[in-house]
Amino acid sequence: MALASREVFWNISYGYLVYLLALVSIGLWLYGFYQRYRVWRLGRPDERSKEIGKRIGIFFRDIMVDVFAHRRFLRQPFSGIMHLTIFWGFIILLLASAVDAISYYSGYHLQGSLYLWFSLISDLGGFLILAGILMAAFRRYLWKPKSLNSVLDDGILLASITAIIITGYMIEGLRQAATEIKPHPDWALWSPGGWVFANIFIDLSEGVLRSWHQFLWWFHSILTIGIILYSGLAFSKLQHIIVSPLNIFFRSLGPLAAPSPIDIEKAEILGVGEIKDFTWKQLLDLDACTNCGRCEEVCPAWATSKPLSPRKLVQDLKGHMVKLSSNSVHSPENSSSLIGEGPTEAEIWACTTCAACQETCPVYVEHILKIIDLRRHLVLAQNKMPESAQLMLRNMQMRGHPWAGAQSLRLRGDWTTNLDLKILAEGDQINTLLWVGCTGALVDRNVEVTLSLTRVLKAAGVDFAVLGEGETCCGDPARRAGYEFQFQLMAEQNIDIFKTHRIQEIITSCPHCYNIIKNEYPKYGGQFKVIHYTQLLWGLLKQGRLNLLNGIHSTLTYHDPCYLGRYNGIYSEPRQILKMIPKVTLKEMKRSRERSFCCGGGGGHMWIEEQPGTQKISQKRIEEVIQTGVDTVVTSCPYCLQMFEESIENKDSLKAKDLVEMVELSLKKSS
Amino acid sequence: MHTIVCVKQVPDPEIPPAKFKIDPVAKKVIPPPGVPPVISVYDERAVEAACRLKDKHKGKITVISLGSEKATDVVRHAISMGADDGYVLQDEAFENLDSFGTAYVLGKAIQKIGGYDLILCGRQAADWGAGQVGSILGEILGLPVITLACDIQAEDKKLKVKRILKDGFEVIEAPMPALVTVSSEIGLPRLPAGMALMLARRKQIPIWKAKDIGADLSELDRSKVHTEITEIFIPTRETKCEMISGATPAEMAANLVSKLAKMI
Amino acid sequence: MMGGETMSPFKGVMVLGEMTEGRLAPITIELLGVGRRLADELGEELSVLLMGGKAGALAQEAIAYGADKVYVGEDSLFDEYNSDAYTQWIASFCQKTLPSILLIGHTDIGCDLAPRLNGRLRGGLSMDAVDLKIDPSTKLLVSTRPIFGGNAYAKVVSKSARPQMVTVRTKIFPPAERNDSRKGEVILVEEKVDPSVVKAKVVDRIKEEVEGVKLEDAEIIISGGHGIGSAKNFEMLWELARLLGGTVGATRRACDEGWIPVTRQIGQSGKVVSPKLYIAVALSGAMSHIVGCLGSKCIVAINKDPEANIFNVAHFGIVADYKEVLPALIQKFKEQRSG
Repeated sequence: MALASREVFWNISYGYLVYLLALVSIGLWLYGFYQRYRVWRLGRPDERSKEIGKRIGIFFRDIMVDVFAHRRFLRQPFSGIMHLTIFWGFIILLLASAVDAISYYSGYHLQGSLYLWFSLISDLGGFLILAGILMAAFRRYLWKPKSLNSVLDDGILLASITAIIITGYMIEGLRQAATEIKPHPDWALWSPGGWVFANIFIDLSEGVLRSWHQFLWWFHSILTIGIILYSGLAFSKLQHIIVSPLNIFFRSLGPLAAPSPIDIEKAEILGVGEIKDFTWKQLLDLDACTNCGRCEEVCPAWATSKPLSPRKLVQDLKGHMVKLSSNSVHSPENSSSLIGEGPTEAEIWACTTCAACQETCPVYVEHILKIIDLRRHLVLAQNKMPESAQLMLRNMQMRGHPWAGAQSLRLRGDWTTNLDLKILAEGDQINTLLWVGCTGALVDRNVEVTLSLTRVLKAAGVDFAVLGEGETCCGDPARRAGYEFQFQLMAEQNIDIFKTHRIQEIITSCPHCYNIIKNEYPKYGGQFKVIHYTQLLWGLLKQGRLNLLNGIHSTLTYHDPCYLGRYNGIYSEPRQILKMIPKVTLKEMKRSRERSFCCGGGGGHMWIEEQPGTQKISQKRIEEVIQTGVDTVVTSCPYCLQMFEESIENKDSLKAKDLVEMVELSLKKSS
Repeated sequence: MHTIVCVKQVPDPEIPPAKFKIDPVAKKVIPPPGVPPVISVYDERAVEAACRLKDKHKGKITVISLGSEKATDVVRHAISMGADDGYVLQDEAFENLDSFGTAYVLGKAIQKIGGYDLILCGRQAADWGAGQVGSILGEILGLPVITLACDIQAEDKKLKVKRILKDGFEVIEAPMPALVTVSSEIGLPRLPAGMALMLARRKQIPIWKAKDIGADLSELDRSKVHTEITEIFIPTRETKCEMISGATPAEMAANLVSKLAKMI
Repeated sequence: MMGGETMSPFKGVMVLGEMTEGRLAPITIELLGVGRRLADELGEELSVLLMGGKAGALAQEAIAYGADKVYVGEDSLFDEYNSDAYTQWIASFCQKTLPSILLIGHTDIGCDLAPRLNGRLRGGLSMDAVDLKIDPSTKLLVSTRPIFGGNAYAKVVSKSARPQMVTVRTKIFPPAERNDSRKGEVILVEEKVDPSVVKAKVVDRIKEEVEGVKLEDAEIIISGGHGIGSAKNFEMLWELARLLGGTVGATRRACDEGWIPVTRQIGQSGKVVSPKLYIAVALSGAMSHIVGCLGSKCIVAINKDPEANIFNVAHFGIVADYKEVLPALIQKFKEQRSG
């Protein structure tokens, strides 16, 4: 009984030429890649080129989770599975071709059941790809989800891959019809794809079978090589096979969307005004993007009809970069202004920096820092910004906080009047500082929250001091609006104050302050232990220093602030605190935790006005809150609270509360 | 083109009205603690006007401020917007001057600096708001004076100034050198940014005393003031606001209309 | 010029008259009213200076309004205000006539002329006065003017500097009473302007299209602030204004945003108005705006923020979103009109 096997290059003379052609095409592909590489390198240097050693280990883990297991892809089940099948199908077929090449050159051919399983798995690979491609074509051309944009490249790839797979089965079928199906019918079933075609061709003469086989074999090979060439030289979306893992390799390992400092003394370029002002990593991002549209789907600005789509922004920037490569790569005329038709100023200012885009991107494109870089250029180099932004930044510059003097009826230290609090005076030292933040000190509704927090901290016996009048803004609104120098001045000033008072620990109620002091101040010499009050309260509850005795008959939903959740991964403490309040029912919104929908207040938008005539982002979020049927929406961020208070129309049916207010209500002894 | 801008440091005008306090005996305003003084609103507009001219015609901007030593802050602010040099005029003899005295001191400093084509001032100071220093300064220096500018253009050796009227604008042509006072209609001043901010951080701002500018102290004699303030007061408003009630905004509107019925 | 208290050559109250469209400007009639009172308290004469080609024709009218002497500079060169020409000519005139008190309107002309004139005459000037009195013991003119954006007021005197000059805010003092039987003197001033002094020339004048009634004359004003949110939203205010026969004003911030022309600005650096009814919509009521509308007989405030400062000066207040109140108001007024 002959052992099942297959002759590599059966019926094909000069079959080994295909390897030669492959080598040539790979060579040309490498050339194409190199040309693109040179374009990326036109960008400014990036720190990440120094971290290669450290990244290798991390990358192996990433490969498992993100690349092989498709963690982020599968959040969208249909397209996740679609891509998973294509991906694994490709891996299988790649391995199969490698096995064939080894067989050819070593002479050792797989035999027997090993061969049969090999054949089955190879066919399976083809099926997976075909299934995935069919799902993809269906999704792209029939279902047509709004955020999926189609270009010619997509069609070319889908059609070619389909052709390659189908001709592959046809070739297999022709070979089986000629050599296998009659003598070894049981083998044929182990190549089911080919078996289907074999049965169709079964009645053709051997001569016809062989000539069709040759023809299709060369067609299949040349098409495959052609696609490799096309992909490499036209830099097709197919390149993502290499570029996207490369991008994941270089993904950000530091805090989310933390902008790089600008050296005031030495900087020649302020922000990004031309495509070459981006770093090479940011340019690489533009090629890693596969135009999938996930970011657009989750963007709160896009969802409320603002002109900003993160996908479009990245693709527009990519368009500028591609223009760069079509000119002579090193010619001096490679400078043209980026901002104008795409991305437009309106798009650049519409972003709230909520990071939903970055959280969902399967290839780790970093949208936010590009936007902040563009804002830096507009503000620092061109003095162009929306009037509402300019007014806020002037206040930052002149008064040390973003709230206009005449808008707020308070001065910075007013909230401390008549309270028994330790206010730091010159020369004082204290271990723990309660950093109140501008909103918590100056806006009435948020001052209520600050007062509530001080009462709760006192009830738990926490020893802390406040800066009172001496507190100025942490600098976040300025930094997110691109006014980097002002932020730097404020950061340095604050770090100085912290150091002078020998502060070790900073408690804050504002996630923006929390994020910037914890994650971004270290670059300016300030390393402190920063705690968000939800973390602190959870710790106190666990220690028994606080007891939530009072029941509150309320249905609540917790809204995850972007800067607490996505930026810093704090999701569970607030929920656990709320669950400890007796009689409370906690419901989750569909878009919660990492998928939380922004309140619209970040990125400077507490002050920068949203595009008139569009729904306010906070209104959209309140709609989602109302759908849960709860009577109270709880959050732990002053911006979120403010935005909700502004957007809740019927305050009798829905209340907005800060988490600490709920805690305090539960602490009070019932009277 | 050399422009000299006169700027004044004033208590922050945008404090909550409830926090505004005066000392009637000393006849002074008491700024709330912890609120830093700022550059006078109209003077900042004057700096902006100078920067716009510099954007177009290159040249130089010099800023001077009569005040305390803290006035270096506002001069620095002007430099961070785009001015080149700045001086603070501080001397015991310069305290509590009226408009004539102020104009005299500024005039002396300007004569010391010399070589100017244009002098810019704010239309009035955001604090005492007398609104005269610019014009008197123009008189002292023998310059044509154009007030309430909302746009300034320079062509050859001539100025084209758009001036605010109650119901429109007029355009005035004048030869340089001239003095122009600037109003807020010129638009928002630019944000300090870019290279100018860097320059401002490092800049040395000299403080000039009376002897540095050759001021004749007899001109600044207290007894020679032209106007004096005899009293300052905060008017008490007697209106009690009647809040209109209603379950819905529409109901409130209806109630308001009936209250106003007699009036309209 | 400095003069002592007694034996001073400076005597009398002089009004710098302005003319609009060939008639005495309303401010001039107001100045004649208050000027008469001041002159009577001092026991001195009230004079008025009229400049322009048609000035002579108005002399009798000025006398009817209370002037004892009318000086006429009948040169058609004076028909259009020119800063250099007026300053030089009037300064020379004052140096001859030596008035003790010089009253000027706080107008486009007055704001420009008064400080320059003061610079030349070296008298004592107080701008934007809202009250004038003669101190009974010192016989000095005491003027009250706003300071610190209107948060406070100061009383100003000139002990020895002459003339005592004031620019007086419009619509503060009632117009003088007309008495056609009054007698007075008309004096033609022969001097001509020295043409060499004219350095700055007006080359163009652009009148802003004023929709409906002028702000300063309107009886009903609907004013919008930063809370309006957009240029489009101002249309609602225009609709209400048209319905009531009034006009629309705005705060500095709304004008800065470009939602409404800057000529609509009411406040410290805008117009001062004193309508019967002032409806303040979505504005916080910063002092620098309020000084422009405090003269209103009735102020109504509509604002979402119950803590807004405007409620401290308003007579009626509604705490609600203007977007819901205004349409309802418009509806209700329409119903009221149709009976």
